[in-house]
Amino acid sequence: MSHTLKRRSFVKGAAAVTAAGVFAPRLALGADPISVGSLTPNTGGGGPFGPKITAAHKMIVDLVNENGGILGREVALTQENSETNPETAIRAARKLVDVNKVIGVLGTWSSSVTLGIMPLCQEANVIQMCTSSSADIPAKDAKGLVFNFQALSPVWGAAIASLALRRGFKSYSVMALNNDFTNSMVDTFVERVQAEGAEVKGTPFYYNGGQASYRSEVEQLIEGEPEAVFIPSYVTDFTAVYKEIFRSGYEGQVITVSISTGAKFKEAIGKAANGILHGLPVPPLDSPAYKWYLDKVGLEDNGNVQHPFGTAGSDQMSVLLLAVESAGTDDVSEVKQHIRKVANPEGRRVTNMLDGLAALRAGEAINYSGASSEVDFNKSDGMISSRDFQLWEIKDGKDETIERIQS
Amino acid sequence: MTAYLISIATFVGFFMILALALNLQWGMTGMVNFGIAGFYGLGAYTSGLLTVKAGWPVELGMVCAIAAGLVFGAAVSFLSVRLRDDFLAIVTLGFGEVVRLIILNEDWLTNGPRGLPIPVRPMADSFDRDGYAIFYLLLVAAVVLAAFVIVERIRRSPYGRVLKAIREDDLVASVLGKNVLAFRIQVFAIGAGFMALAGALFAHYTQNISPDVFTPMVSIFIWMSVIVGGAGNNKGLLIGAGLVMLVLEGTRFMGDFVTFLDAEKLSALRIMLIGVILIVVLRVRPKGLMPEEKFVAR
Repeated sequence: MSHTLKRRSFVKGAAAVTAAGVFAPRLALGADPISVGSLTPNTGGGGPFGPKITAAHKMIVDLVNENGGILGREVALTQENSETNPETAIRAARKLVDVNKVIGVLGTWSSSVTLGIMPLCQEANVIQMCTSSSADIPAKDAKGLVFNFQALSPVWGAAIASLALRRGFKSYSVMALNNDFTNSMVDTFVERVQAEGAEVKGTPFYYNGGQASYRSEVEQLIEGEPEAVFIPSYVTDFTAVYKEIFRSGYEGQVITVSISTGAKFKEAIGKAANGILHGLPVPPLDSPAYKWYLDKVGLEDNGNVQHPFGTAGSDQMSVLLLAVESAGTDDVSEVKQHIRKVANPEGRRVTNMLDGLAALRAGEAINYSGASSEVDFNKSDGMISSRDFQLWEIKDGKDETIERIQS
Repeated sequence: MTAYLISIATFVGFFMILALALNLQWGMTGMVNFGIAGFYGLGAYTSGLLTVKAGWPVELGMVCAIAAGLVFGAAVSFLSVRLRDDFLAIVTLGFGEVVRLIILNEDWLTNGPRGLPIPVRPMADSFDRDGYAIFYLLLVAAVVLAAFVIVERIRRSPYGRVLKAIREDDLVASVLGKNVLAFRIQVFAIGAGFMALAGALFAHYTQNISPDVFTPMVSIFIWMSVIVGGAGNNKGLLIGAGLVMLVLEGTRFMGDFVTFLDAEKLSALRIMLIGVILIVVLRVRPKGLMPEEKFVAR
């Protein structure tokens, strides 16, 4: 008796096999998985950075699950897109908290999203881990649940000012995009340059994003003919602002933050971008943790900063899961106490998640040192205590390192 | 899951109030309003600032939010009295942006881009977390019901028939002795008052508002609700608001089933799907799921 496989049966069968593969539940390592949420800016203003954070979170969770999970339990990761919009993010966070019952919401990037979901997370006793720079974040964290892997804006302002001063500029003008990120950066920049005897021409001012033209703002900025101008902003508006500066014929130095001068900016501006100075908190390039991260995400170590936010994503997930392992429970009140225990410098220094887990299981105290920074948190609040900072100059369409401040 | 559904139902409630208000202005009177987010934000910040900075009780804050909506709604309508259709659309869109930019730039008052935390909530001490969520849902549902009854009564009354006449041809209405200007101002103000109340309810619910929340995207969701539900039909747009939220939120659960797509692709797919559903609804039912009832003279 011969069996002939009819085309229709084949299609049905193939569809059933595909569906079984797609919809099959993943194997649980033990009862009750440990539920963790990731809320990243995969579209909108944070679109260039969100996907790297998303991938880093998943990379760590997959790695942990392949190695026996945490406390013998699987880690269940639920990922949502904040769209860099607090209105959407609040609903997404509701789902993570109320449906997925996560112990932490990791990866928020813009401060308005981090602050927007904070009342909910505080009320539901859920840990937040973010890379947001608003100086308001520690002030509003009444329960000690927020851990920030990014330097706050005032630190950015002071660091970029120090690097600019070393380049010898004596007079500055400042204008900034009006958003929560740049808001507290301007004051510390101005304070620092004035403290070193440099002059700030005119009054620093904020401009609104999304405009078709920034001519009047740029004219006001360069009116006093300063040697350098500092313009912290996002890439979308900085592209338009810089075109206006170039058109105006201004010959002084333009200084900004590196998140404004990514590949898209260089592509849009071309040769005219040469000479711009920009700075950013960066991963410690020589650290084994950073090299481990590059290896895991399949990148070559080219000596340059890669994935400044992806590294932070990797550290967020690692620290949270190590804290759960250290606490011996996923009860948030316990876990939050153990975050500093695994991250701050009291135990043996470990530079990746798996070494950390092994050390904890061997009964050792650990000090997790991450790919984005040393990951040490202040005692008084959940802010990162220090980060490396780097200044670049755009030369021939590429970033060339000028100077680095090490923490 | 129940807590999440309660929360999403509460958000649907905000959408429903906004959609009913837009139906009053556009569906019934033909006044295009793209500034919904502006009135929504105005109400949110009015109540938020009065309760947080001035220490007023929440109830009073909400009443003041309605008053602010009425006043600004009347003003916008009065200032744009000679404008119709697309011109009114531009003016209202501009109003929405002006409100957002004022909130963004008047740092001394609104905290600017850093956002305003609003720890004050009505009857916060009387319930635990779960109980409070139910209480707030009931509060919002009561406001939806009140808004529905009011807007529906307007629709069925002689007043509502005048509005429809203005929508179809305001010259005819004025020839029949109706004071078109007064009707238009009243209706726009009432709609704006409801929108501001929705904003106040939203502010005290989420407890943290920032200018980023009140973008034109909110206005677009409400327009989608009214168009999908059926312009001019109050019951239809309640379904429309529910459906828009169902699509916005329901697509989040795709990730639990479609495991071969990563989070980034999934989020792009969600947004595409929302567009596709809107197109399909409009193609299959151009007048919305529940078209406006025909008025038959008896």
